[in-house]
Amino acid sequence: MKQLFTLCLFCLLLALAVPAFADIAKPRPVPSPAELPRVVLHTSLTIVPDSKAYEARLQITQSELKELQAALGNVQPNNSLTSGIAHSSTRTMLAGVFMFLSLSFAGVWLARSGQTRARKALAALLVGTAALGAAAIIVKANAGPPGSYYWKKLPQNLSKGLPTQGGIDIEIVPDGTDGAQMKLIIPQRPN
Amino acid sequence: MERTANLDLTAWRAATATHTDRQLSVRVFVAILLACASLSALLASWLPLQVSVVTVFLFAGPHNWFELRYFLMRLPVRFGKSRNFFLTAFAGIGGLTIAYVSLPVLYSFGFWPDSAWPTILASWNTLLLLWLALLIRLRSQQKSTSDWSWTVPVALGLCSLNWLAPEFFSLAIVYAHPLVALWFLDRHLRRTRPAWLRAYRRSLCLLPLLLIAMVWQLSRTPALADDNGLFWRITQHAGAQLLPGVSSHVLVAVHVFLEMLHYGVWLVALPLIARQHASREGGRNLRARIWEVRTVPLARHPRGFPRLVATALGLGVFFVVVLWLGFSVDYATARDVYFTVAIAHVLAEAPFLLKML
Repeated sequence: MKQLFTLCLFCLLLALAVPAFADIAKPRPVPSPAELPRVVLHTSLTIVPDSKAYEARLQITQSELKELQAALGNVQPNNSLTSGIAHSSTRTMLAGVFMFLSLSFAGVWLARSGQTRARKALAALLVGTAALGAAAIIVKANAGPPGSYYWKKLPQNLSKGLPTQGGIDIEIVPDGTDGAQMKLIIPQRPN
Repeated sequence: MERTANLDLTAWRAATATHTDRQLSVRVFVAILLACASLSALLASWLPLQVSVVTVFLFAGPHNWFELRYFLMRLPVRFGKSRNFFLTAFAGIGGLTIAYVSLPVLYSFGFWPDSAWPTILASWNTLLLLWLALLIRLRSQQKSTSDWSWTVPVALGLCSLNWLAPEFFSLAIVYAHPLVALWFLDRHLRRTRPAWLRAYRRSLCLLPLLLIAMVWQLSRTPALADDNGLFWRITQHAGAQLLPGVSSHVLVAVHVFLEMLHYGVWLVALPLIARQHASREGGRNLRARIWEVRTVPLARHPRGFPRLVATALGLGVFFVVVLWLGFSVDYATARDVYFTVAIAHVLAEAPFLLKML
């Protein structure tokens, strides 16, 4: 009977696995025409070097922003990790419930267990980590050097045909009278 | 008087010789361990895709057979007080494996939209964590000296992280599973070769150093050319889609390196240590022991199940041969099927490791 049961289990597993072509990865995603880059707005761009700026800034006029919003109306949202968390209320709620249960049980465990040195250290570590995390969020720690550090190699990179990557602040400015649309202000320090 | 002195001297010489032999064997063990780990890291960094193909082809099936035999060796004839533990373990292994294997079937039928799959994946991961927490709870009831209640908040915390990013949690299992073999080796050494344990644990410090060196060396390398279906599957299995900012060369190399360690422990280290242990205990015909059903306590015991053990081991050999044939005919498909069905051995490791703690 036991042998038969074991044999049946193996057969069931095999029968499920083989026709399923189990865990075959999804086919390589072929970009559909909708996913290919497409022009949604044509405008002009002025690049201005600024020796007093610390961060690169992209200034967009209000009228242009409205045009952009209209053009982006039909674009599918990006399913990144952050947006996935933000937009999946069920998953976020369950994560919160489990986190609540975890902290509650951890508190009960700490309270019930004897105050040994190791546990005090663990509690201090937990509190310290939470405090550091909160402080990091508040002061925007890990911000890195100012944007001018990254943008200072832009002229050399442009002459060599290399890309340059750096942070940028996007500003919405009132419509100007000079007719200029977008303006990119790059921090540049004289050498 | 002279005879007594000679006797003492003989005993001292014997003790010194044993101590020297032990020191030598520890050094040889550590040297082999470090050499194997370094060589694995080198090969995995050099040709990650090719080494991945070869190692899975050669060692995936046999290492599962050795694991099966190891688990049978550790299975008691009567469950006794561990009845609830083993029933929970087997029910969990069966249920979770069937659920995991049926996920691709359901995906192919298109029962749920793509947006629902992270939730389904998170549900399976949660069941896994809760099953593990229950097993730990049952095991801790048998060990009155140790307090494992801290594992409950840890399991719930992991559940929370899993619901935030289920795909990343699954990827973490892919990378963490090979390391469980090192834990098995640790527990086994503690029982059979306690003199080697300290050296083994020290040599484990090399592991993070090797990983850091691999990541440091390969992080600036271009992504691997995954232009054919097989190589693409390997990079996806290592998490290239989930971590687009990390070079797939790093991901595949690290994964292959950990897999090689895993196979090395199950195929070489544990059988060799068991053999040496058997020789110290006066075992005979060591070369044939691994094939003998009677070496498994479950089969040797008067009230044991020799036929069941023989059938299980025989079926294991059969599946290894079938796997090799499958790899030969259609490597990519056989690899996908293997890595899905192999979730059973990942799950089975948990209860047997817990029984050793």
